[in-house]
Amino acid sequence: MHEPILHNLLQQELIVPEDAEKITLFESKRPFSLHWELKTLLYLGVLLLNIGLGFMIYENIDTIGHAVLIVLIGAVSAGCFWYAVRHREPFSTGEIKSPTPYYDYILLLGCLTFLIMEGYWQYQYEIFGTRYGLATFIPMVLFFALAYLLDNRGVLSLGITLLATWLGITVTPQELLSKNDFNNAAIVQTGVFLGAFLTVVPFLSERWGVKKHFSLTYLNFGVHILMISTLAGMMALGQTLLYFLVLCLSVGFFLWYARTRNSLYFLTVAVLYGYIGLTYMLIIHTESLNLGFRFYLFYFVLSCAGVIIFLSNYKRFIKNDQP
Amino acid sequence: MIAYNKDWLDAILTKDRAREWHEKGLLSDEKWQAVQERYHSNFYSPNLFIRIGLAIFTLILLLAAGGLVAMVIEPNSEFAFSIFGLFCGVACFVFLESRVIKTGRHRASGIDDMLLYVSIWAILASLCVPLDYNTPALVYFIIAWPFLVAGSIRYLDRMVAVAAFMCSLAIVLLMVKEIPRLAVYLLPFAGMLFSAAVYIFSKQGQSRYAWRHWHGVLLVLELLALATFYASGNFWIVQQAGEMWFQLDQVPMGWFFWTFTFVVPLAYIFEGIHSKDRHLLDIGLGCVAAAVFSFRYYYHVMPLTWAAVICGAVLFLTAYFSIRYLHQNGGVYTCEEDSETSLLQEIEEQLIEQAIVNQPGPTPDKRESFGGGQFGGGGAGGEF
Repeated sequence: MHEPILHNLLQQELIVPEDAEKITLFESKRPFSLHWELKTLLYLGVLLLNIGLGFMIYENIDTIGHAVLIVLIGAVSAGCFWYAVRHREPFSTGEIKSPTPYYDYILLLGCLTFLIMEGYWQYQYEIFGTRYGLATFIPMVLFFALAYLLDNRGVLSLGITLLATWLGITVTPQELLSKNDFNNAAIVQTGVFLGAFLTVVPFLSERWGVKKHFSLTYLNFGVHILMISTLAGMMALGQTLLYFLVLCLSVGFFLWYARTRNSLYFLTVAVLYGYIGLTYMLIIHTESLNLGFRFYLFYFVLSCAGVIIFLSNYKRFIKNDQP
Repeated sequence: MIAYNKDWLDAILTKDRAREWHEKGLLSDEKWQAVQERYHSNFYSPNLFIRIGLAIFTLILLLAAGGLVAMVIEPNSEFAFSIFGLFCGVACFVFLESRVIKTGRHRASGIDDMLLYVSIWAILASLCVPLDYNTPALVYFIIAWPFLVAGSIRYLDRMVAVAAFMCSLAIVLLMVKEIPRLAVYLLPFAGMLFSAAVYIFSKQGQSRYAWRHWHGVLLVLELLALATFYASGNFWIVQQAGEMWFQLDQVPMGWFFWTFTFVVPLAYIFEGIHSKDRHLLDIGLGCVAAAVFSFRYYYHVMPLTWAAVICGAVLFLTAYFSIRYLHQNGGVYTCEEDSETSLLQEIEEQLIEQAIVNQPGPTPDKRESFGGGQFGGGGAGGEF
């Protein structure tokens, strides 16, 4: 399909024949990249191995095989960590390129098998007794250390998830809503503080110049934990005004972030959460007025039109420093 | 035939290509600038996240507006409801054509996408509401077909194209299903034939320059056709369909479908690698997973956990050794995301060789300009 385009450009003298020659040669010699396919296979392999091993260990808990299994899993984990440490690049506060294409996946496999093994020890031998916090605290520290030392955002996400677990929330975005009991004020407050903390971390790392490219991972967790916690505070705890104020502040913050850093992702996310919060406020505060269904339909039409006008003029909202 | 401005669509196509060449150092900055100025498109096409946001709010707005209209009109019979749906659909359609696409210059902005979906949906609903309760499913699909096909052609929309493909497939299968006695044998082959026809159509369409604007739509059709071709002969699907529609305990010609289940994915993968066809390869990999699941459904050779561990280990090791192999043996296949550096060097060498052969005189100049100027900048630069 490139020939007609090339032909047109040549005719309009936008390119010279020598360029065209190079381009034709390039297009005919273009290599076939299996990058995406092989990376997907690696990832699926790691995932399936972990699911299989995780279930296998609990199925064989009272049989002789479980000792062998646990040794095997420990060996896999140790092998992966050994590989990761041996092949590591020298530490730097900036971004480090993976030494080998499968490096990240081997490290991920090591971390996940470590979790399985640690969980099994806790389950079977209660090595941490009833101090369940410690059982999540140790891998959390390990994962954060590994993420920073070996520069791996996947392990960082695992670390943040463990941090949230350790703080009493099981945070994986899909399960956030289904698994947690949002009626508990402590959990909501922890969520708000954790979200705020995760949002502040990138600014500190940017100031100190440590792993600036981790920002997006932190902010992504931060924005969702913060917003969902405040919405939960409004809806489940009934402290609408307090949490609505927090929501407004966070929406304002992320709009500011989107405006100054050209991030359209955070713009859309902030607008969506803000709209949910605002609509909820309107509905519960007009309940007693018996305004009727028509009023709300009007509200939706007008408010959505407003949001659409705002969003579609994003170019004027975003501060574009580059010409 | 296309609702959008064709010159702008062409400009986008040209610019996308030229951008790639520029990124790979084949076009100098000035030339890339010149191409950008010459090929200018005025579409309003925001970034993906804005598009998603706009689509969500457009949907809420349209639903609420529809609700308001319904409260005013108060349709209380099936006929009135049908007219109401038609009115909403046509209103959306007119708004889409006149305001959003023509004056708003929207293209893939989330607003035009959502208006198109809601419009088609409302019109189809209004046409289907008056139908009798026991109308055969075939009638619904035949009513929907022209709208879906026209929508995917005029608006170049891939989602509508998916619906149109599924609708066509359903029409073919439902018609074949009514053939007395032979239906049970013919159904899988009808599915395969239909998919093969769509595949050939989309492959040929993609190579036609005149159809360049439908490239994305045809690509989706190609992927779907590959998937449905395999699904038509997959043992599990054939067996389940036979049980559901014909109450069959045994699949006739079971050996054929089992062979099909395992051979086709391998053939896809082999042919995909051989002819460097990414779509064949990717669908083939997916089909292998489907084949494994189909087999496990009937034969529990080992517990699920063992199967997961073994599959995981096999996948991991296969990928590991493939990457190692590709790393050590360069060539046509590569596991790099972008291996243009080495390729560019190769091209550079070839061109220099040619230059040496053709005109021995100015060789040193040429070499300098190739090596130092354009190639060095694009290939070795830190953009990737």
